[in-house]
Amino acid sequence: MELIPADQFKAEELTEAYNQTRMDYLVPMPMNVARFQEYVRVYNVDLGCSCVVYDREAELILGLGMLGVRPDRGWITRLGVLPYGRRLGTGSALVTGLMAQAEKKKLPTIWLEVIKGNTPAQQLFLKFGFQEVRELIVARRPPNPEINQAALDKIKRVTSLNHEDAVILLAHRKERPNWLNEDETFHNVRNLSALLVELHNGGRGWVTYHAGLLQLTRIVVEVTVGDEAEVAESVLSVMHQRHKRQDAIAENFCGAGVWEGFQRVGYFESFGRIEMKKEL
Amino acid sequence: MPTILQIEDNYANKLLVERVLEPYQYRLLHASDGETGVSLALEEKPDLILVDMGLPDVDGQTVVTLLRQIPDMQAIPIVAVTAWPPDKAMEMAERYGCDGCITKPIDIRAFPGQVAAYLEKRSA
Repeated sequence: MELIPADQFKAEELTEAYNQTRMDYLVPMPMNVARFQEYVRVYNVDLGCSCVVYDREAELILGLGMLGVRPDRGWITRLGVLPYGRRLGTGSALVTGLMAQAEKKKLPTIWLEVIKGNTPAQQLFLKFGFQEVRELIVARRPPNPEINQAALDKIKRVTSLNHEDAVILLAHRKERPNWLNEDETFHNVRNLSALLVELHNGGRGWVTYHAGLLQLTRIVVEVTVGDEAEVAESVLSVMHQRHKRQDAIAENFCGAGVWEGFQRVGYFESFGRIEMKKEL
Repeated sequence: MPTILQIEDNYANKLLVERVLEPYQYRLLHASDGETGVSLALEEKPDLILVDMGLPDVDGQTVVTLLRQIPDMQAIPIVAVTAWPPDKAMEMAERYGCDGCITKPIDIRAFPGQVAAYLEKRSA
């Protein structure tokens, strides 16, 4: 068993291996090569610091794990072991290798998420000293042209903003976002939209998102003034009124008030993640 | 002969479905990603579509969303095939306009009956 930097492999090989690690997961999330490459770019994954466990004799990848690198922090992501690499210590070898890379880069903190219910993964990271920080929600909303008129009636003014303004708004969030929704992520994507919403009762908030042909993604809602659920509901209602045909996915957010607003416009929890961290 | 379109990226799962349905008089089509699946559905107008929820290009929910917006596709039963826990799978299937869901790994004894029941719904 050998630990090799992931940049020694082609994107096709890594994608294929990654998909095999997830084939029997509850939430498999497979990727094609284009999606894999986009993931690496958008989330600042450093393939030179990412690890592949390789069986040279059998010429087989046994597992892989990736390390995102941003100023003063790292992020372990998409760590997985192929079925024939399990019960051989592959997972531990990957975590050890990724932590060594983070130390080499002098990153004081490593973050990661595990899918809620994936107890083996959670246990593995607890064993390495990671601590649970918070629960995150991944929510979806199928297309639904019916919007709650009462939520729209509460709105006094809507201002549409472009990508540059969206990025500025995102830089002024109150809570620390998860890695997927950090400012760096949004610097790496294009064509964000934003809606700034003001309610008659003084409530204010905004939403930023990417509107694809089929799907609304990268949805971030921030309530700046007023009742979180009420403002979030109104803000999201405006967005869905403008994008009636798209499916929507909001990833890795937290906060009971905002979540209630999401639910009021038809979002439901797809699955949960547990955010964990370790100080090095 | 009824046509069944299976949209599934995992080769082993594809083979399993083919083998289990082999004794029956079905024409089986296969797509390994969402885009190919939607194209095949439009070209062939199958009698039943089995969609894996985790696909490598777009996820199964998005595929169902798109198909359900096309008038020709609205009467075709679409069944989600997923490893999600049964209650979550059912919720997802219902909300996205699927006609039902089958959990993975498929029960090879029950599967032909499940498929037949969905096909019957199509002809009803």
